[in-house]
Amino acid sequence: MSDEVSPAEAAQALADIQLRQQQVIDLAMIPAWYWWAVGALMVVLAIGVDSHSPVVIGLTVSVFVLGILAATGWVVGRAFRHAQIRNGLIDGRGVVAILGFVALIVAGTIGLAFWLRAAGAGHPATLACVAGGLVMGAGGPVLMRRLRAIMLGNRTGAAL
Amino acid sequence: MTVPRFDELIHSPTRLAIVALLAASEWADFSYIRDTVELSDSALSKQLTTLEQAGYAEIRKGFIGKRPRTSARLTAQGRAAFEQHVAALQQIVVRSGATILPAG
Repeated sequence: MSDEVSPAEAAQALADIQLRQQQVIDLAMIPAWYWWAVGALMVVLAIGVDSHSPVVIGLTVSVFVLGILAATGWVVGRAFRHAQIRNGLIDGRGVVAILGFVALIVAGTIGLAFWLRAAGAGHPATLACVAGGLVMGAGGPVLMRRLRAIMLGNRTGAAL
Repeated sequence: MTVPRFDELIHSPTRLAIVALLAASEWADFSYIRDTVELSDSALSKQLTTLEQAGYAEIRKGFIGKRPRTSARLTAQGRAAFEQHVAALQQIVVRSGATILPAG
């Protein structure tokens, strides 16, 4: 049977295979609004911390938790209703990229907040979270592009 | 190293599309496969049953609340057969001296 398949047919079949796998990978990409939403929610939480008011803290923590649950629930629910990406598509490079991004946001935001407080700046947590939120919003899509490239490279038949 | 092996069952265009989708997934929802490959419910059921009978796919039926939910995944045998089939296609292309660049 394989003798009956022309190189052009085989190439077309391979292109179709790549396209179908790409469709699943694209579905797994977290949209840009999610990163900006999480960044904004970080700022909301920090406003509560800087206020030192139990009422404001309670309110901002509630907004933060509900917002994270809603945004993350939407992202996870979408994947759950469609397809779950194959774990093997994200290799060690992907894990390093994700952990590096999280470490950058967490360490950068906390470090900046302590530095601002030591420098006597007002609202250090809010200012640091504005910076962290901006990095989150701008960097999230960059992380997604990096993960997408890694996963596309790990598709079955990606190398020829 | 994957040994190339052309698989007639997988090579059918519709099944190739389904298996390629499943190859990038841990599992995929029936409605997602149906809409992506543009098949009717009955046509997709038939194709999935063919793959299941060959030992290439596993079909899971369950409920979320009161809503029925069907999903499918490739078995280890199906994934191996798909990888061998892709290798066979690549071999055909390479032997002809042509190249194909991955999309995206």
